[in-house]
Amino acid sequence: MRRWAYVVRRLALAALVLLSVSVITFFISRVVPSDPAAKWVGPRPTKEQIAQARVKLGLDKPLYVQYLGYMGDLLHGDFGVSVRTHQPIIRDLQTYLPATLELVGVGTIMAVVIGIPLGVFSGAKKNSLLDHLSRLLAIAGVSMPTFWMGLLLQLFFFGKLGILPLGSRVDNAITLYHPVQQITGFYLIDSLVTGNLPAFRNSLVHIILPAFTLATYAIGLTIRMTRSTMIEVLEEGYITAARAAGIPERTILFRLALKNAIIPTLTVLALSFVYSLTGAILVEVIFSWPGLGSYVTEAILSVDFPAIMAVTLVVTVFYVFINLFMDLWQAFLDPRITLG
Amino acid sequence: MRYQDLLKILGVAVVLGLLVSACAGAAIPTPPKENVAIYAHTTTFPDIDPSISFSNDSAVTSNAYETLVWYNPPGSEELLSPGLATSWESNEDATEWTFDLRQGIKFHDGTDFNAEAVKYSVERTMGMGMGASYIWDAVEEVEVVDDYTARFKLSYPAPLDLIAASGYGAWIMSPTCTEAHDSAWLNEGHDCGSGPYMIESYERGQRLVMTRFDDYWGGWKEGQFDKVVFDIVEDPTVRQQMIEAGEADVTYELPRENLEALDAREDATVYTNPSFQNLLGLLNHKKPPLDNKLVRQAISYAFPYEDLIKSVMKGYAVQAYGPVPTGMWGYSDDLFQYRYDLEKAKELLAEAGYPNGGFKLVMTYATGDMDEAQVGELWKAELAKLGIELEVRGMSWEPQWDLAKSDPAVAQDILVFYWWPDVVSPYSFLRGMFHCEEEILFNLGYLCNPELDEIMDRANELSGSDRAEAERLFIEAQKILIENADAVFFYDVNNTHVLRSDIKGYVDNPAYPHVVFFYKLSR
Repeated sequence: MRRWAYVVRRLALAALVLLSVSVITFFISRVVPSDPAAKWVGPRPTKEQIAQARVKLGLDKPLYVQYLGYMGDLLHGDFGVSVRTHQPIIRDLQTYLPATLELVGVGTIMAVVIGIPLGVFSGAKKNSLLDHLSRLLAIAGVSMPTFWMGLLLQLFFFGKLGILPLGSRVDNAITLYHPVQQITGFYLIDSLVTGNLPAFRNSLVHIILPAFTLATYAIGLTIRMTRSTMIEVLEEGYITAARAAGIPERTILFRLALKNAIIPTLTVLALSFVYSLTGAILVEVIFSWPGLGSYVTEAILSVDFPAIMAVTLVVTVFYVFINLFMDLWQAFLDPRITLG
Repeated sequence: MRYQDLLKILGVAVVLGLLVSACAGAAIPTPPKENVAIYAHTTTFPDIDPSISFSNDSAVTSNAYETLVWYNPPGSEELLSPGLATSWESNEDATEWTFDLRQGIKFHDGTDFNAEAVKYSVERTMGMGMGASYIWDAVEEVEVVDDYTARFKLSYPAPLDLIAASGYGAWIMSPTCTEAHDSAWLNEGHDCGSGPYMIESYERGQRLVMTRFDDYWGGWKEGQFDKVVFDIVEDPTVRQQMIEAGEADVTYELPRENLEALDAREDATVYTNPSFQNLLGLLNHKKPPLDNKLVRQAISYAFPYEDLIKSVMKGYAVQAYGPVPTGMWGYSDDLFQYRYDLEKAKELLAEAGYPNGGFKLVMTYATGDMDEAQVGELWKAELAKLGIELEVRGMSWEPQWDLAKSDPAVAQDILVFYWWPDVVSPYSFLRGMFHCEEEILFNLGYLCNPELDEIMDRANELSGSDRAEAERLFIEAQKILIENADAVFFYDVNNTHVLRSDIKGYVDNPAYPHVVFFYKLSR
């Protein structure tokens, strides 16, 4: 009962957060110097065209009326129309959001699969060769600039070895002859579900470099955090007791110790995931990945305020829900944590 | 123990590596022998609706749609060539234009091309009132004389043949197709054109695929392309790697320093030629000291033109002769050109009452544009020698334009930006940037010279009926601008396109910027 009350309260707070974010973003984007009516018309607007556009876009109405109109449409699922492309923003979101989620998702999985085991073994075997190498990897991952890392990987794996592609989500040949049927927008899932094996293989190969580039930071973070929490946990009394009881080391590490050590790491990973939704822009540009980062950057540079609003709200929703999920999961993992 | 762990990790890595190379090596089953051209394009396409498109999306619309008339590349015998119209003529004062249309043409949806389609297309573009629809402002009525004759009645004289050749807003579309669908449908990856290629699919922000229109009226020959793929690749390094690896066949906007090495390769060719885009610095006529002609002339003499073209542009630009770019009708290399001459500049400054400079100028430019930034830096160094302080301010276009449209007394002194023509006529440059404007749009130097306006307006009126006289008048107008140093005319930008060497038939047409007419190419 307590848990449900907690969830409801959190959701109510979430709605409040979204509302505040929408108000702030809306009014900021109107205060910034720009002329959305002119932008709507095109690069060479005439006076008459601008005047017409101003009326059509409702820009002649007072600001609060515009805001209420926008929120009204939003509640019907209408994110409005982009000032730059004149297309419904919901369409753009349907293209860019799954692409980003796929990229960031695979990156996070890589961070978990590579980072956590390395962090665990690092913590378990402090100051061993493995530990030193992991810590080196962690520092490297966190300090190397993403775009430089991406270009290096491209140069090496595409330029020198020729085993991985340069960029984009699939090869031209796939788009032409084995196009992926758009169901979820996640190429890996869609191609697998429709039995499109060539497309599946191709999307997998294409996502490796950009996801890895994106993951290097998270890997570094994960290794370090897991390592330090593991070291703490492994010094607890119950671990020694478990060892004395003859429980295999693998079980001790991954079942007993990790469960207690992992919470801070997962929280940070979750935040890193949401940050990358728009923060992956550099990776997107280098690997020609059609993601939310590039989309919102273009929107910001042309002060396309409906698009900026839409992306801000979507990312806020993600932040709020992922935080809620993490809090609930922590409570699930560790019964000592009380909600509320 | 620890060696076992290391081995385990190594093992996993090896397995992954094998998996990856196996996957990569696996050949994608493809149908036999299709000739595909890949264009690595630098930007996304904002809007591919032919009535609205007014940006780089012309790269796509120019292959899916056609205009009545085409503007020929500089150096051609004729200025214009027939497109969907076979011939055209106007009445004496160019207020009535009659186009004879080509027969037997089909749109991609199977319907016939005729005068009704022309009327519909122009009226749709005018009605939507966006993009470049204003080019048709003179048109009062489009009359369908018969199936293959269309007559335009204008409310004032205008060069409708040039207008109908514009790369923006002059596309002819199928009425049936456009009526049945809306702009959003077009932007999902469809077209209603008559051109040699049809849009097959469009993944926004990623890739647009066009396929051959088998019933194209021009017919098809051996070696022409079956499919054209536009790959959107924003990073220039990646585009270059694609061209080098053969993963792209055409691209542009690569780092200038790499062009020579690229051209030297056997498998790549660099095509460079002047475009119709130029870089200008509009000078604030409403704020001292630039309201003084002598000061404007002085700073025009203080700019190191040759230095910029040689060291920054690496030869991929030519110094401008006035506002009309190289190769366009109305251009003249007989016009006076300012040269770098600090002595002359000092003289003029002294004459104007600023013998040691002693004032500050603010120059705004588009942030991120390295060429414009360099222009500012070079100029700053030279002006410093004259005792003039130049603040070089990079701004995003929106705030830059906003500032420029505000009170001239507090706006910038110099605004540096590019201009390119919508309709290929000197009037686009002159009217756009130098005509008196009550409500400032792009006359961001706030110039108002009624004598100049009269000449350019008269020239525009005559550009349809007496092009030679119009040209003479446009050159007169440019003389005035140059004499008064109303702007600094930096340079005409070069277009550089890089293509794989096995592609034949490429000729750049600056009237259609960065458009590759794939129908004309073969491999």
